[in-house]
Amino acid sequence: MWMRILVTAAMLPWLFAGCGQPAPSDGASTQRPRVALVMKSLANEFFKTMEEGAKAYHAEHADTFDLITNGIKNEEDISGQVALVEQMIARGVDAIVIAPADSKALISVLKRAQNAGITVVNIDNRLDEAVLAGDGLDIPFVGPDNRAGARMAGEYLAGKLQAGDKVAIIGGIPSAFNAIQRRLGFEDAMKAAKLDIVASQSGNWEMAKANQVASGIINEHPDLKAILCANDSMVLGAVAALRAAGRDDVLTVGFDNISAVRDLLRDGHVLCTVDQHGDQLAVFGIQYALEILKKGTSPEDQETPVDLITAKDLQ
Amino acid sequence: MTDTSLQNDGLLRRILRAAAGPLGMVLALGALVLFFAFTTEHFLTLVNLRTIANQIPTLLIVGVGMTFVLVAGGIDLSVGSVLALSSAVLGACMTQTSMPLAAAMLAALATGLACGAVNGFLVARWRTPSFIVTLGVLEAARGGAYLVTNSQTQYIGARIERIAETSLLGFSLPFAVALAVVIAGHVTLTRTRFGRHLAATGYNEEVGRLCGIATRRIQFAVFALCGALTGLAAIVHTARLSAADPNAGTGFELEAIAAVVIGGTSLTGGRGSVLRTVLGVLIIAVLGSGLAQAGVQEPAKRLITGMVIVAAVLLDRFRKQKSDA
Repeated sequence: MWMRILVTAAMLPWLFAGCGQPAPSDGASTQRPRVALVMKSLANEFFKTMEEGAKAYHAEHADTFDLITNGIKNEEDISGQVALVEQMIARGVDAIVIAPADSKALISVLKRAQNAGITVVNIDNRLDEAVLAGDGLDIPFVGPDNRAGARMAGEYLAGKLQAGDKVAIIGGIPSAFNAIQRRLGFEDAMKAAKLDIVASQSGNWEMAKANQVASGIINEHPDLKAILCANDSMVLGAVAALRAAGRDDVLTVGFDNISAVRDLLRDGHVLCTVDQHGDQLAVFGIQYALEILKKGTSPEDQETPVDLITAKDLQ
Repeated sequence: MTDTSLQNDGLLRRILRAAAGPLGMVLALGALVLFFAFTTEHFLTLVNLRTIANQIPTLLIVGVGMTFVLVAGGIDLSVGSVLALSSAVLGACMTQTSMPLAAAMLAALATGLACGAVNGFLVARWRTPSFIVTLGVLEAARGGAYLVTNSQTQYIGARIERIAETSLLGFSLPFAVALAVVIAGHVTLTRTRFGRHLAATGYNEEVGRLCGIATRRIQFAVFALCGALTGLAAIVHTARLSAADPNAGTGFELEAIAAVVIGGTSLTGGRGSVLRTVLGVLIIAVLGSGLAQAGVQEPAKRLITGMVIVAAVLLDRFRKQKSDA
């Protein structure tokens, strides 16, 4: 018993030293940099594609860096993601590329990572700028402008409609940063074209939920001309609702360009979607992290491309 | 609409209870319909009636299975994930193989049945609490759904739409199937020996066993049945959306349990009614559809749904106390 306490006490300084400082790189200095990619839910097709893109890139450049990829159980598992970052700090990785599950809740653990000498790059979902500034942190963001992407899709739709036409928006989980940005982007385009937004509700990113919401909206507004959805799963639900109601005169817009939506784009049931190149997103982040590690450059934000996808692009 | 109950009531009290039984629920449903009829423009229309009839079969079919499980004294938390897994199998069969529709449907049914059988086997064979067994299957089946679909939504399209588009006496085929399941479920629960044994098992397993009822076999059968019905519901669900979504049915188990309990089926077993589950399903469906039409925002939607569930159960409680007095 006493022995155990003594041994534990003797080990304590090492334990704390290991937590607070960058992992000793003696012997590892000749090794490749270790990059940890921390994503949101791998059950989500978007992040799955992101992970596959990162792994494919790593396979081509296996001699320049080591890659550790990790994801959480579901989009809401914020504490799970915090724990993942803590594990990566403990493993002494050189860089963490993270798609934060929450734009605020992850900041304190990322601060600890930076203090431990780890290069942190933020991808996909932007960390809250006010909180970052308040904490005196500088974490570069590499990712698409969701609001601009949604505005682009909205403008394309507006080109097919006339001022005063009625439209509806089905958004994602109300608290998610991307959901808010996409809704704002849709609204920007609708307002600019003087279209009438008669309904704006959440479909929680889900097909079945969006189906129910869309059914309600098209019943209530028989003269509706278009439905804009903040992701493609929800546009699938909206298209099913329109089919059940026998309405083929309502245009729909999606976001993400998932494979399931391609047939509907081709046959015109979905007018357009937005591709933010999820498979390349993590790669951009990793490249950026490696560059910072190599050159020690001061971190700046980097915008990645967003493209409008219509039937024409699928030929 | 009768409760299956082993309590030996007087005839008069039983008639009273039967008459007063679903009244609270019917009133609640009527109040909801009236409320939405006044607050929205197009709620009380034939189109909307068809929309709701088109949306409820999934919940109705699983609700019947869940009623059986609750009456037998268990709970099935896995139905949402099993729905997703069965739907995923259906989607994978139709998009990745050239399997005909009928064979793919059979595969989906078999998947649901297999998951239910696993639940039933673990509960009955080793007397493990169904809460924890089905929680495990909830996790495992969701993992299976991601594996089968490679985490991607499978778009099936016209080949499966014909299920939802087939019409039978003015109703969609899924609605007719759900109706048949409800009638069969009601008859089974109230008119057959299996139904009586089921209630006895749920009311007091030990006593039931001493009376010579094969309680373990009943428990196994009831979970397998719930699984098979969930597989059937998955076919209907997939046909309506013409796509299989690996994230489908997240939280669906709670919706199903809510519908059944709103309908007055006891969470502690022994008492329940399929027909009153139908009322519970209708209350949830009308609420969901009406709130969407009224354009209510997400936070308010959740608040209202929660309060209606509590109110419906309180109403039921109040009614029961009165009829017991």
